[in-house]
Amino acid sequence: MTTGSTGRRSPFASAAIYLAAAAIALYSAFPIYWMISSSLRPTQEMLTAPSLVPSRLTLQYYYSLLAQTDYPQQFLNSLVVALATVAITMVLSVMIAYGVTRQRIRGKKAIVAGMLYAYMFPPLLLAIPLYTMFALVGLNDTLLSLVISHLTMTMPLGVWFLWGFFKAMPFELEEAAMVDGCTRLGAFLRVVLPLSVPGLVTVAIFAFLLSWTDYTFALVMIGSDANKTVPLGLASMIGAFDLRWGDIMAGSTLIALPLFAAFVMLSRYFVQGLTAGAVKG
Amino acid sequence: MTDITKTGLVTRRRVLQGASALGLGLAMTGVAAPALRAQGGRPIRFLNCETGRDTLAFFDRIKAEYEAQTGVEVVVDSVPLGEAFTKITNGIRSGTPYDIANVGFVGHVLLLADEGHIVPLNELTDPYEWGNNILFPVDGKVYWYPFDYNLSVIYYRKDLYEKHGLTVPDTWDGFVANCEATVDGRQKGCLFPIGSNGATNWMSFAFMWAEGVELFDDAWNVVLDNETMKPKAAAYLDFMERLYPTMPPGAIQADYATVLSNIVGGTIAHGPYAGRVLEAAERDNPAVAEQLDIMPYMDQSGQRKAVSHGYDGWVVLNTDNTGRAMDFMRWLTTDRLIDFLHTAPVHFQPTRLDIYDNDQWRSNPLISKYSGQIETMRRMVSDDSMLVTSIDTQGPHPDTRPGKVFEAFVMPEMLQDKLIRGLSSAEAVDRAAARMRELVG
Amino acid sequence: MTRWMLPTFLAVGAIATLVLIVGPALYAVSLSFYHMTSLTSEPVFVGLAKYADVLSRAEFWNALVNGIVYAGVSIVLQVVLGIGFALILHQPFRGRALVRGLAFLPYLLPTVIAVLTFKWMVDGSLGIVTILMDDLGLPPIYWFETESAAMWSVILISVWLWTPFVTTTFLAALQTVPSQLYEAARVDGAGPVRRFFHVTLPVLRPILTVIILLRGVWMFNKFDVIWLTTGGGPIGATEHLPILSYRTAFALFDIGAGAAIATISFLFLSLAVFLYFRAFPMEDDA
Repeated sequence: MTTGSTGRRSPFASAAIYLAAAAIALYSAFPIYWMISSSLRPTQEMLTAPSLVPSRLTLQYYYSLLAQTDYPQQFLNSLVVALATVAITMVLSVMIAYGVTRQRIRGKKAIVAGMLYAYMFPPLLLAIPLYTMFALVGLNDTLLSLVISHLTMTMPLGVWFLWGFFKAMPFELEEAAMVDGCTRLGAFLRVVLPLSVPGLVTVAIFAFLLSWTDYTFALVMIGSDANKTVPLGLASMIGAFDLRWGDIMAGSTLIALPLFAAFVMLSRYFVQGLTAGAVKG
Repeated sequence: MTDITKTGLVTRRRVLQGASALGLGLAMTGVAAPALRAQGGRPIRFLNCETGRDTLAFFDRIKAEYEAQTGVEVVVDSVPLGEAFTKITNGIRSGTPYDIANVGFVGHVLLLADEGHIVPLNELTDPYEWGNNILFPVDGKVYWYPFDYNLSVIYYRKDLYEKHGLTVPDTWDGFVANCEATVDGRQKGCLFPIGSNGATNWMSFAFMWAEGVELFDDAWNVVLDNETMKPKAAAYLDFMERLYPTMPPGAIQADYATVLSNIVGGTIAHGPYAGRVLEAAERDNPAVAEQLDIMPYMDQSGQRKAVSHGYDGWVVLNTDNTGRAMDFMRWLTTDRLIDFLHTAPVHFQPTRLDIYDNDQWRSNPLISKYSGQIETMRRMVSDDSMLVTSIDTQGPHPDTRPGKVFEAFVMPEMLQDKLIRGLSSAEAVDRAAARMRELVG
Repeated sequence: MTRWMLPTFLAVGAIATLVLIVGPALYAVSLSFYHMTSLTSEPVFVGLAKYADVLSRAEFWNALVNGIVYAGVSIVLQVVLGIGFALILHQPFRGRALVRGLAFLPYLLPTVIAVLTFKWMVDGSLGIVTILMDDLGLPPIYWFETESAAMWSVILISVWLWTPFVTTTFLAALQTVPSQLYEAARVDGAGPVRRFFHVTLPVLRPILTVIILLRGVWMFNKFDVIWLTTGGGPIGATEHLPILSYRTAFALFDIGAGAAIATISFLFLSLAVFLYFRAFPMEDDA
């Protein structure tokens, strides 16, 4: 089975591969299909005899979710938190990674190793002290507290990834620019950053993904309805008095779709990030 | 579930200052603590926990009406009941108290009353006649205005009873037989939650109360495992073990909503819940709605019936705004109470007996349609032979101790010890009693 | 300006690291030396008493074992399935790009969504899995209702969510294996199985070492799958250290003990990683 693309296959092997591929596709995608189809299925059909394909489609859950619940607010909160996390992560990790790669200092390995190590912290080892600190300074239950918590995951990730990226970039490029009269900052802004766009996009994507999908930190940091993010809001729908699977599946679909769309458009960055072992999951 | 505590740690500041100095740097990120609301002439702050859509719309409407009539602004915050008490105490501590709040535990009412945070509401409650076991007065003072009973009763399917020739059972044997008779493929006999959650606490133990089990004696000693109670509690566990095979998979995960969707979806013949079942069935599955009726929980031998309450009420806090808050409460509980109850017409089962005869209340289409069930529910709270109780109201008088037993899920764990771990009933009871002593001892 | 830029960058980085990571971690450790009877009480310094208390509790050891089982079994399954998937998706066939894309999708889903969808699919009455099994005449599965079933359920969800990580990294790595190696092996008469164990695996060993390490660490720390699925139940069967730590700190209000559990968990993990590095040294190109 480990042949490259060169081997000839018997019809039997071919059939086996198509079968296996179909099994992989079904295994990976069926739950997602079921989520989406449940969000479009009339309640009565859902309660009685759900068939594999809905007999009729409805948008009622999307309507009720958007018009009659806090979902739009939660979606906005998630978006604000994720975008702020991405922006701050980018600035901080670019500065640290670039500084570490280009400045001659002792123990730079220790810094990068420390980042990797920080990446291993149990979320609760940070969540408990962060929560008590936020309470002390009156920041508890705010979106900002969530952004700061997410930075504890995204910043080490960004530094680690960009460090590898900057390290691979030839120093001569900057030197040439500086010889041409650029300051170091100028060389950094005009030469290094533009060349780093693929790395930056990858970090941005994964920082967004981490923040957008986080439940654990949100559970600890956020108390009030007004500040809930979508994962937290969806989770509390299930403990509510009235179960609306349709609403929950519609809410899930709405939060998953932007991720799928981003994946389709940017899949090469995803693979790049993953193969660099970049993302926590 | 457990997100009860989001409390500040202000008093720890002195001791932990050194260690948290780094954390204080976070404050430099530019966002200061939320500004304190100015005192005096401030709006009435109202904490609501009824988060149904119609109820939320009701509060939006009446706060505008009240402001138009009196010029007094009302701010309503809505949170799930599980978070309410923390909100209330946080507000008190941080100097921004709520003036009126929704409370779902008598234990919490007592805690607040003990510390002088809430004021008696006798001027609002005294004029009326109330249902059984709902006001919980302390030395004659009533500290809350209960607005619903939320009785957990057993719903059953009339059509299935007819089909199988069953009658409403009076004994555990009869109930088990009916559950077994109605199992048919994916159609199951019943569903009673057994997981460590509020739903189990509320829905699964009234059989045991009907059998006469009590958790505490008059001196607050745990008596669950004494010679009178233990056989009864063990018999209850044996009974649940017989019911368990008639349930669909998932009783351990079942929450309020699971039971609701199973009853409404018609997949179980018996299931516990309050009036919301009828509202949800009307909305999602009218064919089943026609076939639902209710019965109380019964004991082993047909002597006694019980229902479990999950009441809710409002308290008025002792603040600089109490006078205005009382005015608002008077208006809410006289001029607007019926409108409020109509936002979940069958589910908000009235606590005041006069409401059951109120024409405006009865005019609601769902209430008139289900008048039979409502009459049964009324008898449950006015007939003294019916036991109305719950884990958190056990004991000789209202107290916070049974609340701890409730919140630590001691009783659900007793069920799990029996049904999942397979301990003997006697052992499961012993473990539960030991756990209770640990909690309240 | 030029002279100060890098030091400025580094200074900002150092401050951010101190405030965001080092400070909180030290603070967490310091919290574990204090006792608070409630959230409003004054903390009392108790030294190592919290550690002694935690280590003497049966539930701590139960949680440690559960955590090792959960992390261990789910990593093995993720790696085996992930490599299997990668080998298949490495073959040329029509629609390969689509299947590769689909195989990646679970990784994008927030845990909450995966858990909710799983719960909905296996709902005891209305779930599609329950219904299909019944239609096939099979007995229903009690997904969460025995101690071992609950553990398998949380493992199943975790494996579904994170296998794509292994699949995708392994697939990318497969493309770097020089095809001459295969040709040489083929000339030597090696069958597919031998080629996998003697060519593919040795070449991919470094990346595999990293994958197992990363996934191991993350699975050991993983909180949300179990919390959202079973909450640690039934009767503690799926309670692992993150859940125990959360419950202790935020439900029982014993912040000190919660911090102590998190600290012990971190020390344990550090030790495991250290031993792992000793057993599987990684080349360091820094």
